[in-house]
Amino acid sequence: MSTINVSQISKSFGPLKAVNDVSFEVEPGEIFGLLGPNGAGKTTSIRIILDIFKPDTGNVTVLGGNMTEEKKNKIGYLPEERGLYQDIPLERCLVYLATLKGLNEIEAKHRVADYLERFDLTESRKKKVKELSKGMQQKAQLITTLIHKPEIIIIDEPFTALDPVNTQMVKDLLLEERNKGTSIVMCTHQMHQVEELADRIALINKGRTMLYGTLNSIRKQFASEAVIVRSNEDVPNDLPGITEIQKKNSHTLLHLEKGTTSQDVLRELLNRNVQVEQFEIAMPDLDEIFIQVVKSEGAPE
Amino acid sequence: MKKFWLVFLHEYKRHVLRKRFIFAVLSMPLFVGLMIGIGFLSVWLQYDKKPVGYIDQHQILVDPQQVPEEDKTLFKTVESIAFPDEDSAKTALENGELQAYFIFSENYNETGKVTMKTVSKTSSNAKGDFGDFVSYNLAKGLPEPVFERLSDGNKITIRSLDGSREMGSDNWMVMMLPLIAGVLFIIAVNISGGYLMQAVVEEKENRTMEILITSISPTQLMAGKVVGDIMVGLTELAIWILFVIVGLQVAPVFFDIGTIPSMDTKYILLLVGTLIPAFVMVAAAMGAIGATATEAREAQQMAGFFTLPIVVPFWFTSQIMFNPNGALAVGMSMFPLTAPIALPLRAGFTDIPWWQMTITISVLVVLALFSLWLSGKIFHIGMLRYGKKVSLKEAFRRS
Repeated sequence: MSTINVSQISKSFGPLKAVNDVSFEVEPGEIFGLLGPNGAGKTTSIRIILDIFKPDTGNVTVLGGNMTEEKKNKIGYLPEERGLYQDIPLERCLVYLATLKGLNEIEAKHRVADYLERFDLTESRKKKVKELSKGMQQKAQLITTLIHKPEIIIIDEPFTALDPVNTQMVKDLLLEERNKGTSIVMCTHQMHQVEELADRIALINKGRTMLYGTLNSIRKQFASEAVIVRSNEDVPNDLPGITEIQKKNSHTLLHLEKGTTSQDVLRELLNRNVQVEQFEIAMPDLDEIFIQVVKSEGAPE
Repeated sequence: MKKFWLVFLHEYKRHVLRKRFIFAVLSMPLFVGLMIGIGFLSVWLQYDKKPVGYIDQHQILVDPQQVPEEDKTLFKTVESIAFPDEDSAKTALENGELQAYFIFSENYNETGKVTMKTVSKTSSNAKGDFGDFVSYNLAKGLPEPVFERLSDGNKITIRSLDGSREMGSDNWMVMMLPLIAGVLFIIAVNISGGYLMQAVVEEKENRTMEILITSISPTQLMAGKVVGDIMVGLTELAIWILFVIVGLQVAPVFFDIGTIPSMDTKYILLLVGTLIPAFVMVAAAMGAIGATATEAREAQQMAGFFTLPIVVPFWFTSQIMFNPNGALAVGMSMFPLTAPIALPLRAGFTDIPWWQMTITISVLVVLALFSLWLSGKIFHIGMLRYGKKVSLKEAFRRS
């Protein structure tokens, strides 16, 4: 059973239709990428899931039903608009927010101590939040998101302001949570992170769902008729069924004629004794798909 | 409900445990204490207990005696010593035994002329105490009741026409208490309202709002904050009242402060019944203002609107005192924003009919609940809006 079920939701603010007939499902134990350019309707969709806004039409079920006060304790949310109480010590701030998620104070203190240790923030626990660096505050926010062991994590741009070491730590954390069976909804513009982490994605533009499915199926949908060949030698430029050969830094891109298959090309290369180190069907990366979809506003026919 | 208490405690502790709060609470009594201290210090610096001399060659004072000391006095009366002639007085003055000496003129009884001679400026108490000494000894021979009247002065009692209330010259505290209560109320309500205003803007400013409302319902959040911040103001008020009570207990040991008015149940009921709902009303209204505003600074500017009407009765204190049942006094004691000061003040000088009290208090309670509801409403609508105000029209339309 899916943990989040968004069914044909729409929401307008005055004349602006922020979300228009958006649907998707999030399964337990998966990282779901919610992608889209600025102002596409991602945050509004999330706020509807979290019951901050009511949808004009359509409905959302979370953990098998409507959102309730009890269910709020099972959700960890890292909003795009980051913020913590600036004027109180970090530890007190985290314990307070953890108790609001239903933990008792003793348990909250215990878990906060563990997380501070893990995030290398123990020494700063008595400092006021405003005295911490941006990266440290970001880590503190992640603690708030994870501390109550939520069944659903909704996380908006999780890697902003993090250095590579901390980025890796957060990735590991997300994967660890996924393996525990947590559903994770991740909003981000950083496509390489999505490629690395997400199992399935939905791409929203101007309030509408443009793409929805597993990463692989979407990339296949956008795959052009080309293959990537990496070899020590030059790839012969008189191969049959090839319309164009593009030499790249580390590889050669071969564009195929209609009717030519990748198997035909590989067979031909082997017949000619070319030392093939890598051979793969050229899949567009998410960045390219993203730009293509946003510009043309849709998936290819 | 549990989360309401968490918010309440967080909000309360956040202010009360701050150095700033402790400083603010103590600064008021410290300030009052300091003012009293400085007053005493300046009197003490001018005070000189060295005796004064006098030469009474014309036998104006018969068998002179020192004025008996009062029971409670911090400064002793300057003694007046008789000298047979000016030379001996002058020698004593030059030797520093006297601060001045006085010579009665020949026709003192007709003219009251006395010459004072001194080396430097005399202390302010010297002339006064010598004057008292002369009056005391002149009046001494009169019949006992007349003498006592002359030495004790008049005791004027102001009485209302219907005789329901009166104020004697020695129970000025009847007037002072509502005034003090009023000043403390205004300060406390401003503190609470200020905190509340800041508190609802704060989560918008620091962007904690989304985390909070995905953890707790906006109603519980707002209720926790309102009650927490009101308790902060009430704590402050309670501490000050404690200081006033302690002050009233301690002061009579040193001075005569007049009669402390007896607090009957009706008066206490009236004070509590007016001040608490008024407090909630104003503080919550300021919270609502905070919720409509986008920045704390902007909210502060709008809050003046509420504080001004509250202090208005102070400008009309004398009208309320002398005509406590006049249209102005009754009107102000029933108008919700002026009632918290005007009603207790009026109650000091007249017997307020039950129906007026009931109406005033009921209106205040209803308005307090309304402003709580309204601030919750505006808070709910405006909580995720950055940079754009919530209009009152919008708040009502959406309700």
